[in-house]
Amino acid sequence: MKQFKIRFSKNRKIYYAISIGIILVGVICNIVFGAKLDIEFRGGTQLKYSYTDASGAVTQTEVEKTVKNTVKRDASVLLNKNVKNSSGTATTNNVTIELSGTDAISVETQQQIAKDLQTKFTNSKFSLIESSSINPSMGQKFFVKCLVAVAITIVLLVLYIALRFRKIGGMSAGVMAIVALLHDVCMVYFTFIFFQMPINGNFIAVILLILGYSLNDTIIVYDRIRENRTEMPAKTPIGELVDLSINQTLSRSIFTALCTVMVIACLCVVAAYYQLTSVTTLALPMMIGVVSGCYSSVCIAGPLYVGWNEHKQKKQKKGHAKPQAASAEE
Amino acid sequence: MKRARKPIFFIVAILILAFTFVSISGVYSYKGDTKTTYVKGVGDIRWGIDIKGGVEATFSPESSGKKVTKEQLDSAKSVIETRMVQNNITDYELYADYSQGKIITRFPWQSEETSFDPESALKELSATSVLTFREGSEYTNTSTGSDGETIYTTPKGTTAKTTFLSGSDVKSAKAGVSQDSTSGQSTYVVELELTSSGAQKFAAATKKVANESSTLSIWMDDTMISSASVDKTKFGQTGITGGKAEISGNFTSDSATKLANQINAGALPFKLTVSSFSSVSPTLGTSSLYAMALAGIVGFILVAIFMILVFRLPGFVAVISLCGQMALCFAAVSGFFPFMKSFTMTLPGIAGMILSIGMGVDANIITATRIKEELYAGKSLDAAITAGDKNSFWAIFDGNITTILVAVILMLVFGPTNILSALFGASTTGSIYSFGYTLLIGNIGNFIFGIYTSRAMTRSLSAFKPLRKKWLYGGAIHEAV
Repeated sequence: MKQFKIRFSKNRKIYYAISIGIILVGVICNIVFGAKLDIEFRGGTQLKYSYTDASGAVTQTEVEKTVKNTVKRDASVLLNKNVKNSSGTATTNNVTIELSGTDAISVETQQQIAKDLQTKFTNSKFSLIESSSINPSMGQKFFVKCLVAVAITIVLLVLYIALRFRKIGGMSAGVMAIVALLHDVCMVYFTFIFFQMPINGNFIAVILLILGYSLNDTIIVYDRIRENRTEMPAKTPIGELVDLSINQTLSRSIFTALCTVMVIACLCVVAAYYQLTSVTTLALPMMIGVVSGCYSSVCIAGPLYVGWNEHKQKKQKKGHAKPQAASAEE
Repeated sequence: MKRARKPIFFIVAILILAFTFVSISGVYSYKGDTKTTYVKGVGDIRWGIDIKGGVEATFSPESSGKKVTKEQLDSAKSVIETRMVQNNITDYELYADYSQGKIITRFPWQSEETSFDPESALKELSATSVLTFREGSEYTNTSTGSDGETIYTTPKGTTAKTTFLSGSDVKSAKAGVSQDSTSGQSTYVVELELTSSGAQKFAAATKKVANESSTLSIWMDDTMISSASVDKTKFGQTGITGGKAEISGNFTSDSATKLANQINAGALPFKLTVSSFSSVSPTLGTSSLYAMALAGIVGFILVAIFMILVFRLPGFVAVISLCGQMALCFAAVSGFFPFMKSFTMTLPGIAGMILSIGMGVDANIITATRIKEELYAGKSLDAAITAGDKNSFWAIFDGNITTILVAVILMLVFGPTNILSALFGASTTGSIYSFGYTLLIGNIGNFIFGIYTSRAMTRSLSAFKPLRKKWLYGGAIHEAV
């Protein structure tokens, strides 16, 4: 059997550099593009209508004007032509209207918008396909709730690892696993930034899932380290031990990630084809998260753990050396 | 020893495939046109509003700064409840959030409904309710509610013409217990307290009803919520005076509270407004469902091919186990098991299920690579399988526990009543909840099928002579046993 002999802990600076590089690019993107909170979190109104348009009368500016007249607020309008339906044929056009400001509109106003659009474009059958109108206070509450959920999850997961991996230094293993997790969370976040996807409930679901997935991956590696620790001579350098463990579990890590990515990719392609935004914005970041989760548990968590322990050993040696020197003086 | 193990593969495989088949198709019998469901299949899954189309809304009372009491919120809730039933919406979720003073609802669009007009539905639900006490109990239509009780709507005849009292005449209503003075038995009743002008009207009304041996019915909007007769010997002379009355009947604690809430709603001091709402049309949801199903099937086939190509025999076994895992997912959401309530599936819920296809083979991958390693380490086939099974268990265990932990947190935080309710109030079982649920079931399935049935099948197959070639388990090709 081909046994990989990649020296992960020795090359760790390269991996760190790659990750830090990507994170830097992400941060720059974040500053340039900015994060977009979905109305689910910040409050606001979004309406989506389908319409038929044989004559081409429905234009962005016209719709915008009509809506503005009705609501007395600025509105941004996005036309989306030839949307596919379930049989894969293009049938209707969609228009997404987003009202500025974060206040929800009343049911009456929403009815008025539909009515005015219908009067303005008599031959285009406007029908509502999706609408959401959320008050800012409720959105914020939901957002905070999501953050609390993520925080609870992280704490519980660290505790679990610390408990299960006491033998190989539970806390350091736990903390390093969390660093790898945060790395993956960043990657998922940057995916949202990069593709200009609004941050919403899907974002939270992906983050939480990746927390579980990436940790799962890291744990398989730790489990091998724990096993090898008992089997190999106690004096084996920690770097060697970890490298061996990572290499042994590498094919499993890759295969599992591959299977998962394969399935999510199907989901992503199908969702993109049928223009199911709610599914695409779930599947795409999830795919990136799984790849990053696989990478981080192999190239970040393990090597970081080695770095931490080597650092600790050095410190201990120094600590040992001093009392000896002291005794020599006596 | 070895011989006895052989049939296990067939028994396990047939059981899994049968389970898969039944969980997808369900078991029904037809007697004429009536369909009896014995076991629920995929067709019985309740789809969430993002698939079936529907509305989610938050109502808040317009109370001009005054704090809304729990009783008032309960009353407002029962107004909405009554109207849902009246509109033939039976599959709704409704929560009152006392800390925030809000009522949250979520209901799918009815399949027989052709025009999709969420705006008017919401307006109807939040409209100020009209409570009336009428003479007689004549009605035009009857229908059956979700709880099997008959609902009478639209008054006619005398009932339509004669209105005795309206909501503003009622001060309050509450459920109580009354003890019969002769038999000593206690029964649940609804106690009414009327305003002074209401008391006069009520006395006159009860007098009339008692003498004409008619009934007094209570209506909310267009629906009759109660009807009662008045004892002539007791109240024939004066009617019920004093501004207090008791409605008795076959009440349970729940039904008495419900009626009291409904009556109170007619006297609500505030108007309900829709503060947040979202809606999805049925057509959008149907195409999403189709797309998701397609993605799931293609994903499953890809994983199956991959597993068989890479892991050969254990891969083949893994595919059968994966069928079982998916079947468990279907069963858990369709209400296959009588002890599990059917579950509302949303798009992220299906995504969770599809995801668990990919992650579901993880246990098999870990075990299979371990067996492969042991083979290369020079162990015999049986020893390799035993060692591989043993050594991989804890890795799978720890890995799965973390995912299960995440799934449980998702459910606890985003469920209707959750651990954070005290901080953030109740919410509807949103899409994230559904995602957590399918992820949890997928993981439990992975545990059961990926470990136990997979292993039983692999061991059993390894007892067959033609299947004892090491390359089938990942060893080098053409190597002797």
